[in-house]
Amino acid sequence: MTDSKQASSLVEKSPLKARISNLLGNQSVVLVITLVVLAAFFQWGSGGIFLQTDLLGTVMDQWGSYILLAVAQLFVVITGGIDLSVGSTVSLSSVVAGWFVVEQLKVGPEVTGQAALPYVLLIAVICLAVGLFVGLVNSFLINQLKIVPFIATLATMGASNGIAVMISVGQPLQGPNDWDLGTLWAIGDFTLPISTMVFITLVITTVVGLFLHKSRFGLYTYSLGSNPFATRGAGISVERQVIKVYMLSGGLAGLAGAYSYVRLGAGSNTSGMGMELYAIAAVVIGGASLMGGVGRIVGIALGTLVLFVVQSGLLTMTVVQVSPDLKQVIVAILIAAAVAVQTLRKSNRK
Amino acid sequence: MAGEVIYEVKNVSKRYGSVVALDGASLKLHAGEVVGLVGDNGAGKSTLVKVLSGAHQPDGGQIFLDGQEVVWDSPRKALEHGVETLYQDSGLAPHLTVSQNVFLGREIVQKGFLGWLGFLNSKRMEREAHQDLEEVGIAVPASNRAVSQLSGGQRQAVAIGRAVAWAQKVIILDEPTNHLGARQAGEVLNIIRNAKAKGLGVIFISHTLPHVLEVTDRIVVLRLGRIVRDAPTSEFNGDTLIGTITGTIQTIKVEGD
Repeated sequence: MTDSKQASSLVEKSPLKARISNLLGNQSVVLVITLVVLAAFFQWGSGGIFLQTDLLGTVMDQWGSYILLAVAQLFVVITGGIDLSVGSTVSLSSVVAGWFVVEQLKVGPEVTGQAALPYVLLIAVICLAVGLFVGLVNSFLINQLKIVPFIATLATMGASNGIAVMISVGQPLQGPNDWDLGTLWAIGDFTLPISTMVFITLVITTVVGLFLHKSRFGLYTYSLGSNPFATRGAGISVERQVIKVYMLSGGLAGLAGAYSYVRLGAGSNTSGMGMELYAIAAVVIGGASLMGGVGRIVGIALGTLVLFVVQSGLLTMTVVQVSPDLKQVIVAILIAAAVAVQTLRKSNRK
Repeated sequence: MAGEVIYEVKNVSKRYGSVVALDGASLKLHAGEVVGLVGDNGAGKSTLVKVLSGAHQPDGGQIFLDGQEVVWDSPRKALEHGVETLYQDSGLAPHLTVSQNVFLGREIVQKGFLGWLGFLNSKRMEREAHQDLEEVGIAVPASNRAVSQLSGGQRQAVAIGRAVAWAQKVIILDEPTNHLGARQAGEVLNIIRNAKAKGLGVIFISHTLPHVLEVTDRIVVLRLGRIVRDAPTSEFNGDTLIGTITGTIQTIKVEGD
C-alpha cells in the first residue's frame, strides 16, 4: 500500500550543496595547494636550489622509505586501531634478512651489481615474511587476548627491537647489494628524481590503494572502523579482517625493511627507529582520522610528501638557517596543525 | 491471515554468570505475522533478540526454522537462512555510502579475475540498492552518499529497508522507531506492514507501546526472563499491556498451542 511517494519525508533535497562543500573539504586538494606553496617558499628560501633533481631525488627517496609504512598505518588507522610496531618491524626484518644472507649463506658486501640481485630478492622475501609474522602476532594479541591495538603493538614493537638487537649484536649486517636500485633514473643527459626503489614503492602503493578503495577487503576495512557492531551484524568476521589488516600492515613494514636494506646495503637494528611516528604523522596529515573510518591513499601519499618536502626544505634554507634538530619540532607542529584543520573542517560542515 | 509457523524457539534459556537472562522462553512466529516483543528493562528482550539473530547461543532449548531445528553459531548463519536482524542503534556504518551499507556482507563483485580478487561492482550495487529501498517503500536521495550525511530518520529508513530487502523469512526489528519523529515512525510502521504483506514473519521489539498496539498481530510479554503473556493484540489495551509488563496484572502462564 505504501509507495515511494508516501515515504517522502525520508527524502532530502539535491545533495549539490553537500558535494561542493565536499570538494572544498577534500584533503587531497588542500595538500596539493600546500605542496605548491611549500615548494615555492623553499625555492625562494634556498636561493633557487630546492627544485633541482638531486634534491627532489632525496625527497623522493625519503618518501619511498616511508610511504609503505604510512600506507601500512593507514589501513590500521582506518579500522580505528594503531600500529606502533611498524618501525621496529623495519629494523627486525632487515636484520633477520641480513643475518640470513651474511651469516648463513656467507655472502658479503663484496657481491654487488647484477650478481647481487637474486640476494636482494631473497632479502625482500625474508623481510616480507618477518613483517607478516609480526602482523600475525599483533592480530593474535588483539583478537585472542583482547588487548587494545595501542598496547598490543607497543609490546611487539619492544619485542621486535629487542630481538633485532640480539640477532645483530648491535652491528649493521653488511651484505650483498645492487646499489643501482637506489640511483636516480637517467634518460640521456636528463635525470629524473626517481629511482627503481621509489618506482617499486609507487607501484605497490598504487596496487594496495586500489584494493583499499575498490575491493571488498578495503570496504570491510572501512566498515570495521566505522561501526564494528554493524560489521559483525552484517555477518562479516571482524576477527578475520583484523588478522588481514595487521598482516598487511606488517607485510608492508617488512617491505619497508627491504627498502631500508637496499638503501644502507645492510640490515641494521636502528634502521626503523622512530619511523612509526613519521608514519602516524603522514597518515594524520594525509587526512585520516585516528577515530577510524576515514582516510584515502592519495591523501596519505601527499601527506608523506608534505612531511619530507618540509624536512628537506628546511635544511636547504639559506635565507634563514634552520637547525636540523628543529625538524622533530616542526613535524610535531605539522601533526598538531593537521588535526586542528581536520577538526575545524568537521565543525564547519555541521 | 497468518500462514505456517515459520520461526520458533522452544524453552530457550541463557545465563550470564549467575544472572538468568532467559528462563525457558518459547515463542512462535507465523509467516505474514507481526509479533510484538515487549518487557521492562532487564526483562530479557535483548537476550532473546540475540538468540534469535544468532549473535548469542542459548544455554538450553531449541530453535526451529520452517520446522527444521537449526543452530546459529554466528549471525552470518542466520542471515544465510533468511533471518535478518536490525539491531538497536548499531545498524549502519556511517562512513560508508547508502549502497555500501545495503550490500554490506553481500557485495556484488565484478566479473572474472577482478571479481576473484574481490573488486566491487559499485555502479550495480548503487543501482540495485536504490531499487531495493524503493521497493520496500523508502525513497533515499542518492545511494552513493555517505550515511553520515543523512538525517536520523533517513538512516533508520535505510537500516530497515536494508533488513526488509534482504529478509527471506524472518525480520527482527529491535527498537526501530526509537528517536524518530511521529511522521517518520509512522513510515517505519508502514514498512513493517509491507514486510508483513510480503509474507515475512516480523518480530517487533519496542518500548513505544502505542506503536506495538498499532502494528502487531500478537504481543509477547517478557518479565524477568520468562514469557508471562502471549496473546492476540486485540486482547490488550494500553493499560492492560503496561500492567502485564510491570506485573501489576497477574498473568497465567503462556497460552497457545
